[in-house]
Amino acid sequence: MSAIVPDTLEGALILSLIDFFLSFVVISFIGFVLAGFPWLNRVFERRSPGAEPLRAGRAASPAKLAAQSEIPPEDVAAISAVLAMVVGDHRILHIESHQRGGDWSVAGRLAHHQSHTTVRTPKH
Amino acid sequence: MDQVVTFLQALLDQTGAAHFSVGNLVMIVVGTTMIYLAISRHYEPLLLVGIGFACIVANVPGPPDDVPGGPAISALLYAVKEGGLFHYAYEGVAKLIIPPLIFLGVGAMTDFGPMIANPKLVILGAGAHLGIFVALILAKLVGFSLAEAGAIGIIGGADGPMAIFVTVKLAPHLLGPISVAAYSYMALMPMIQPPVMRLLTTPEERQIPMAQARKVTKREKIAFPLVIAIIVNLFFPPVAPLITMLMLGNLLKEVGVTDRLAKTAAGGLMNVIIIILTVAIGSTMAADRFLTWQTLEIVVLGLIAFVFGTGSGVVTAKIMNAFLKTPINPLIGSAGIASVPIAARVSHIVAYQENPNNLLIYHAMGPNLAGVFGTAISGGILLALLGVG
Repeated sequence: MSAIVPDTLEGALILSLIDFFLSFVVISFIGFVLAGFPWLNRVFERRSPGAEPLRAGRAASPAKLAAQSEIPPEDVAAISAVLAMVVGDHRILHIESHQRGGDWSVAGRLAHHQSHTTVRTPKH
Repeated sequence: MDQVVTFLQALLDQTGAAHFSVGNLVMIVVGTTMIYLAISRHYEPLLLVGIGFACIVANVPGPPDDVPGGPAISALLYAVKEGGLFHYAYEGVAKLIIPPLIFLGVGAMTDFGPMIANPKLVILGAGAHLGIFVALILAKLVGFSLAEAGAIGIIGGADGPMAIFVTVKLAPHLLGPISVAAYSYMALMPMIQPPVMRLLTTPEERQIPMAQARKVTKREKIAFPLVIAIIVNLFFPPVAPLITMLMLGNLLKEVGVTDRLAKTAAGGLMNVIIIILTVAIGSTMAADRFLTWQTLEIVVLGLIAFVFGTGSGVVTAKIMNAFLKTPINPLIGSAGIASVPIAARVSHIVAYQENPNNLLIYHAMGPNLAGVFGTAISGGILLALLGVG
């Protein structure tokens, strides 16, 4: 295979312009594909009966939650008991392994981390 | 008496001391500095300790080579000679066996969630690669061939395995200085990037908060490597071996049923590869080969590439802010230069120094990971246009 671009300064400029421009185009295409991933979630959730969202105003039974989330029934019972003690009347909508939904726990840890910072207010 | 002097001289000639040069001393100082930065400043110790050690030992001359009157070579370089342990280590680099294995390990270690969660930030992965082309044009201006200039430019991608991969294909004779420049600058990014980032942003811009990204499901994380592998193999066959291995490693991590393989790829295998890679690179830093005008030019051009890449990433983020309803912190733009996760850490630290309540690490990882693909895309187009499949 031979070089398409001539080995000159002009060739270097053309190569750079084409490469930089195409990089933007291709990476934008990847971004476009990634933007469609939430749609992928919605499609699979609609098809998967196990992932059917609970109707508002109706509490899920621990047994149903356990079946949906693959969490042992005894864990669901323990979580329900602790919640009842701490917050009183409640209903659990969803339980999942902490490794899967780490965002809220990360946010909590970051908030805790920030509480130890010596400078609490932004510099202006 | 003359016989005794001659005898002693012959004895001295059999040691390395008679062949020690100022260049060796300079390179020993360079290697020692690398180890110092790794230990005291924690600048990428996994890379710099091995490279620095190999650099020092490669510059301690041993006895002359097999040929009588031939050049003195170090004990390490003896090992690099054909048949020696490090000969095969270097062959692993030169024959492009090690770079894909590194990408396998990187994929098995990496959570691509931040990139999937905020797709608009992937643009920064392309924007932060202006440095590649600035260095390429400057290299051509100072007299390198276009293929050599392309290999030098890819240093600005801040991706060691990709730099090795492209260099072996375009200019294998420059593998030593280019890989040393790429890995050294990656390790020194905490020193190179912050001044450029501060120069191009105001204190107010550096304090822009970013909203928490959406949660990415396991389903998306499994689909991601499959989709990217298809896209890259379809459109960028020249760099497909690297990205395919990256995505394989990531798939092993995300599927949840191949933990043993993922742990091996990200743990034991990766550690072995790092040892081999760092020693292979460091062993190319013998003074007689490394201390040349050409190497100096490559090192300077590599620095220029990093500076322009950092700057263009920040500027791209600022341009994006002109079109976005919710502005992004421009400091995450510099993370688009790749070098996962060093550049993201630098973005986080600079923002943290400005406002300790502004934690950018998760947001910076998005463009940082996109930068890996940005470098692969730029490298793939370079190889295709320069006629290397």
